[in-house]
Amino acid sequence: MILPACTHIHHFLENSALRLPDKVALIHDGTRATYAQINNAANCLANWLINNKVFPGDRIVLLLENSLEYAVGYYGILKSGAVAVPLSTDIKPDALNYFLSEIEPAVIISAKRFVRLFKAADSIILQKSKILIKNYSAILKSSGLNSSSIDVSDFDELISQDLKDNPKIKIFENALASIIYTSGSTGKPKGVMLSHKNIATNTASICQYLQLTEKEIQMVVLPFFYVMGKSLINTHFAVGGTVVLNNKFAFPAAVINQMIEEKITGFSGVPSTYAYLLHRSPLAKKRDQLQSLRYCSQAGGHMALAVKKALRRALPDKTDIYIMYGATEVAARLTFLEPNRFAEKIDSIGKPIPGSKVKLLDKKGHDVEPGQKGEIIASGDNIMQGYWKDEIATAKVLDDKGYHTGDLAYQDQEGFLYIKGRKDSLIKVSGHRINPQEIEDIMLATGLFIEVAVLGLPDNLSGNKLVAVIVPENGDCTEKRVFEACAKKLPKYKMPAEIKMIRALPKNASGKIDRSRCIELL
Amino acid sequence: MSDIKSKIKEFIIDNFLFGDADGLNDETSFLDEGIIDSTGILELVNFLEEEFSIAVDDEELIPENLDSIKNVAAYLEQKIKA
Repeated sequence: MILPACTHIHHFLENSALRLPDKVALIHDGTRATYAQINNAANCLANWLINNKVFPGDRIVLLLENSLEYAVGYYGILKSGAVAVPLSTDIKPDALNYFLSEIEPAVIISAKRFVRLFKAADSIILQKSKILIKNYSAILKSSGLNSSSIDVSDFDELISQDLKDNPKIKIFENALASIIYTSGSTGKPKGVMLSHKNIATNTASICQYLQLTEKEIQMVVLPFFYVMGKSLINTHFAVGGTVVLNNKFAFPAAVINQMIEEKITGFSGVPSTYAYLLHRSPLAKKRDQLQSLRYCSQAGGHMALAVKKALRRALPDKTDIYIMYGATEVAARLTFLEPNRFAEKIDSIGKPIPGSKVKLLDKKGHDVEPGQKGEIIASGDNIMQGYWKDEIATAKVLDDKGYHTGDLAYQDQEGFLYIKGRKDSLIKVSGHRINPQEIEDIMLATGLFIEVAVLGLPDNLSGNKLVAVIVPENGDCTEKRVFEACAKKLPKYKMPAEIKMIRALPKNASGKIDRSRCIELL
Repeated sequence: MSDIKSKIKEFIIDNFLFGDADGLNDETSFLDEGIIDSTGILELVNFLEEEFSIAVDDEELIPENLDSIKNVAAYLEQKIKA
């Protein structure tokens, strides 16, 4: 499907509302909302924001789980010319204070579940924003926030009118549309500034290579505050498809059952999503009932070879697997592997998506030869504008060549890219530079573990020592067996010096392994 | 039954709430209240399998069985009987 050229994110919704007003756009628990309903509600919110002196460029925080309100909030903010700043729903009071001080939002859109969080946050910071809470008047006026000092309104009351006319606000295509905080493996989170054009071009590109059409019914288990989750709603709203929101991925059997009931055509996850599905779900058992499932896509970090192979076996034969690569800084997506090359190029992240370019450069900034490792440098209309209020961090990664991803990769003779670790995550042990991902893959291939994280800890003798934090597959996995299995596959200098068994690896809210919290466990 | 419930409650408080039981009652949804994520559910399942010598089937990983102290207790009772 060729999409009409769109330079503004909310035009995806507006076009679909015009073309397919009565089509169900979003399903969540008992809610089934059409394009017209969502667009009209988003218009109400946009008008309210405009009437309440929210100006283009003002920030609006979204602190919501995936829901109809999230969709209405997100597109309503964009329609008003304001900037959507989604925050992780896992956030703690101290972090909320920090983010709100940095973002200075005009408005915060949230829900009942977070009232406890707001009560624990700094009321002086909260007083600076208006707060909209879903269903506030019905549930919470008596037990809610102290409304004399904090300005709280009911979100539902604002969006209850049937407003077909889209607001007529002039918004430049390069205007800031969203700030998305990166999970960041180390250091403080950075707010990635993405314009309408950044996100709109990336969305159109993803729709093109995934060959999305209005027949698409996507199961969304990834949070919208995470860039990959955000790309799921934008792409499906662009083509007039349907998103099914299931926030209960912790119960994978319930997700699989809903995939069968709703005749899901697309499923997307990060590596841990698939590791979890394969380990503890009836996926393989119910594969024959998943006949509508056209494809599964994976991004959000390297997925081990063993997991990819197991996923291929578990899915129906006709279900395609898309391995993809990206970053928040590139508005979501940068490369993908054509599913018909999956078996042959299984460890590759594929080639650049339409409209994006990738170069591999050595330390001196020169192009590397095929087979040689270099840093991935990305360019195209999808590259971010910079980090919010952080010029130093921006200057480190953005220059006239493009965005420096920090990921090291090589290209084969046909131009397929293979990631070989991150610039900053190589662990130096006795003079060897070790890519922890490589060891994790080899360890996972033994079949003894569900998850592994290999970490470097300071060591007087060797500079660093390797420690593997592992989640055993079952009770038969003893330390002795682990070392024996590793010794068969790994040279001595790549052998973990220590092993720690735990029940599950710590993850951040988007499902990625949280390495700094893994280190804290040691 | 109350013994089962108190064991589950103790596990949840110790492992996920770090001793702070404020707001946790028998019907509190672990997921809706942000008490447990998918990693946590696996920990809970491992605990149930070890503590009560049962095998949790993959198809039984649904909120109706596992998303509150009350649901877990009812599920366990039925598993232990079977």
